[in-house]
Amino acid sequence: MNLDWLDAFLLFGVFEVVMVIGLALLLHLQIGLVRIANFGVVGFWGLGAYAFGASFTKIDWSLGEPWPFLISVVVGTIVAGLGGLLVGWLIADLDTDGVLVGTLGFATAVVILVTTQDGLTGGALGMSGLRFPFDIGKTKANELLWFGILVLVVGAIFYYVARVHRSPYGRLLIAVGDNEPLARSLGKPAFRAKLWLFAIASAGMGLLGIMSATMFHLLIPEAIGINVTLAAIVALVLGGTARVWGAVVGAILTVGLFEILVQFYLPFPRSWYTQAIPVLREMVFGAALIIVLLVRPLGILGDMRRDKLVRRMHRG
Amino acid sequence: MDFITDSVVIGLTQHAPLILAAIGFALIYRLSGLINVAYSETITLGAYIGMWINTTFDLNFYTILLPTGIIAGLISVATYLTIFRPAKQRNVGALEMIIISFGLSIFLRHGLQFVFGYPVRFYDVPPPDTIRVLGIGVSSFRLAALGSVVALALLLFWFIQRSGYGLQIRALASDENLAQVSGIRPLTVTVLIWFIAGVAGGLAGAFYGVGSAVAPLLGWRQFLFIFLVVMVGGAKNLGGVIVVGAATGVALAAMNLQFGQALYAQLALIIAFVLLLKVRGRRFADLGKV
Amino acid sequence: MGDIRNVAAATRPQIRIEGVKKSFDGRVVVDVDELILGGHPIEGLIGPNGAGKTTLMRMIMHSTRLDEGKIAYRRGDGDDEVVLSNLPTHRMADIGIVKSNQVIQDFDNLTIWDSLLLAVAEASNERSYQIYREKRVFEAHAEDIRWYLERFPFEDPNGFAKSAGEKKMLDIIRCLLLRPEVLLLDEPTAGLPEDLRDDLMEVVKEKSTTENMLVVIVEHDLEVIWTMSDYVHFMAEGSVILRGEPDWIREHETVVEKYLGSGHVAG
Repeated sequence: MNLDWLDAFLLFGVFEVVMVIGLALLLHLQIGLVRIANFGVVGFWGLGAYAFGASFTKIDWSLGEPWPFLISVVVGTIVAGLGGLLVGWLIADLDTDGVLVGTLGFATAVVILVTTQDGLTGGALGMSGLRFPFDIGKTKANELLWFGILVLVVGAIFYYVARVHRSPYGRLLIAVGDNEPLARSLGKPAFRAKLWLFAIASAGMGLLGIMSATMFHLLIPEAIGINVTLAAIVALVLGGTARVWGAVVGAILTVGLFEILVQFYLPFPRSWYTQAIPVLREMVFGAALIIVLLVRPLGILGDMRRDKLVRRMHRG
Repeated sequence: MDFITDSVVIGLTQHAPLILAAIGFALIYRLSGLINVAYSETITLGAYIGMWINTTFDLNFYTILLPTGIIAGLISVATYLTIFRPAKQRNVGALEMIIISFGLSIFLRHGLQFVFGYPVRFYDVPPPDTIRVLGIGVSSFRLAALGSVVALALLLFWFIQRSGYGLQIRALASDENLAQVSGIRPLTVTVLIWFIAGVAGGLAGAFYGVGSAVAPLLGWRQFLFIFLVVMVGGAKNLGGVIVVGAATGVALAAMNLQFGQALYAQLALIIAFVLLLKVRGRRFADLGKV
Repeated sequence: MGDIRNVAAATRPQIRIEGVKKSFDGRVVVDVDELILGGHPIEGLIGPNGAGKTTLMRMIMHSTRLDEGKIAYRRGDGDDEVVLSNLPTHRMADIGIVKSNQVIQDFDNLTIWDSLLLAVAEASNERSYQIYREKRVFEAHAEDIRWYLERFPFEDPNGFAKSAGEKKMLDIIRCLLLRPEVLLLDEPTAGLPEDLRDDLMEVVKEKSTTENMLVVIVEHDLEVIWTMSDYVHFMAEGSVILRGEPDWIREHETVVEKYLGSGHVAG
């Protein structure tokens, strides 16, 4: 297969956009429906990635390829899900302030553990030895295939989130987000619903972390900083928390703008790209959050017409 | 006994900026219920402004504290007037308010990087004098930080208890409309609170900065602990914030002496505080409005 | 005929309130020695403002904690007693107790249909992995919901509840849809126009007989109490001080003096 047409860096840029779409979709369930502000996205993302990496590189596997990889993916996803269960339990009956402190605390705790447990994680030096579970020839071909798998995973997340909007479960989540005491008085176990939501969304975030770490073949503590959380939140807020498509549109307009348009198609001097552009990117993201929430709080796509959705659901 | 005095002296002096910052953060939190994530940048700003004044005008550290505090206070007021006040007037929800402050935090943090450049910066000061306190050598800068905490605490105590403003603040915090009707000028009181909070944050930043280095993440690294201290200690009054802040400093110092690893101390504290909030939240969980 | 009546009486759901106390900031709000709800199909709970009626209702739902005492519940099918004050709020509806709200409560982002489907959806259809259950829930309950929507006019049943009256009505229909054994109505008619109020009360009365439901009404609109209730409890200063048939209560001098006032015109 001739892949000369494909710029390797461009592929990484598109990979990042799709990954952020996935994170923003999962965050949509939490912020958009249940209105739980998860500011610790990167904690779950990083926990999954590191658990996967430790399992894959530190265990002396006697199984043949690709089993060590696949089992490690499952391990990483489950560990992230368990992390979500723990955090969910801690914060499910706290208010927004408590949720913020709990999720931020979790993300910080993950960074501390990654830094101190260097026997498992490689500490500040990072963890290498992460590779694709297949080899179909050139590096670029492998990367393209891995990107294809990411698209499938994010597509599945999108489908799930869209289905949740059309199911009794989604209605329960919206109800809990709107008026938790009222939902409880109707017999809805709000606490349990939040707990499971956190577990599932966190497992998904962990899986995306695993996919990202594998693509980049490297895991370092700097990679699990607040900028991952920021990207997901900006994408969600800009696109709007009401519609499922909001996360997709938002991620393309924010991360896509910088990772693809600015990186490849705008004629900035080369020297800008190492320092000025990443800083500018974060500034623009920060400003976008303020401006969107002040001027157009529902995001670019605006309000979802739930009345229309409900009518359509029951006609079909 | 040595271990205890060591922990107390080191904890109180090393972490005095934490208490200072927590008082400022708590003032805004208690007045308006706002979790201002961008408060971490007020601290960072203080560190940068102090460094800039110090290196540009070649002034000694104690002289720069006053202008640093005032400038940080003014910037704090500016963020209130340009962002948080308009947001409140548009009835932005609690969750959105936090996201806005998060956005401002990110914006300011990277904006500072843009203005002051990427490398870490340092204060240009002679090595501080070492003063012996209960047999332990403490830098004079750290003692000054502790002194500022005491001064600010006394000032606020006087301000809230003795002057008429305390009553106004309490009235404003519980019901703004009612307060307005009873002749309180919400804008004056609110601006004053944001100013004092900014001064406290800016000074904390200057103390943090002179103690090590000035970097864009300086304030953000402290934010979680400030936040935890205020959430755990600030439920009732500012006294609680000071007590919990001091206890946090001592606990961090003690665990640091014990484990020899600052990160473990932080981890233990994060877990302890979040569990404490969980237990407290549980007690009120059933008290719904239905 | 007499036999059936006896059976019905024996299997009626019952709430027993014993030695229950609650104070806020040192002020005693509720102090009830003994109160049994469930002797009659529809019971009224009246009393002046601040008598503790709403707090007592909330204590039954366990959304307000008890300082002292016990609230126990026996289902209509004669099961063992359940101590309500040990259960979390969301379990109340499972065992058959629901309450409508005095202050308007609604889900801002759910349409009227949504809100009603939410009320009836079973927990097994609301699990996170059940993403294809909408049709099942809709088909199982649409008829039930339509019955209410036809009976009570909403401006746009596919849209959101608009007025305070619509929200109030929605709140009560949600409760009725759950087919509870015990229905607590806290000022159900406040804010409703008169014709709607009468219509709603008629349905409640109907359901209380056809579904063997115990209804407890807290109400200031005394016309509702006198026409609906089979039995009335009168509360003042936190305690139930009188109980009896509606006709007896409304003539009682204590009630007239403490609550109805001298200006009250019996009619």
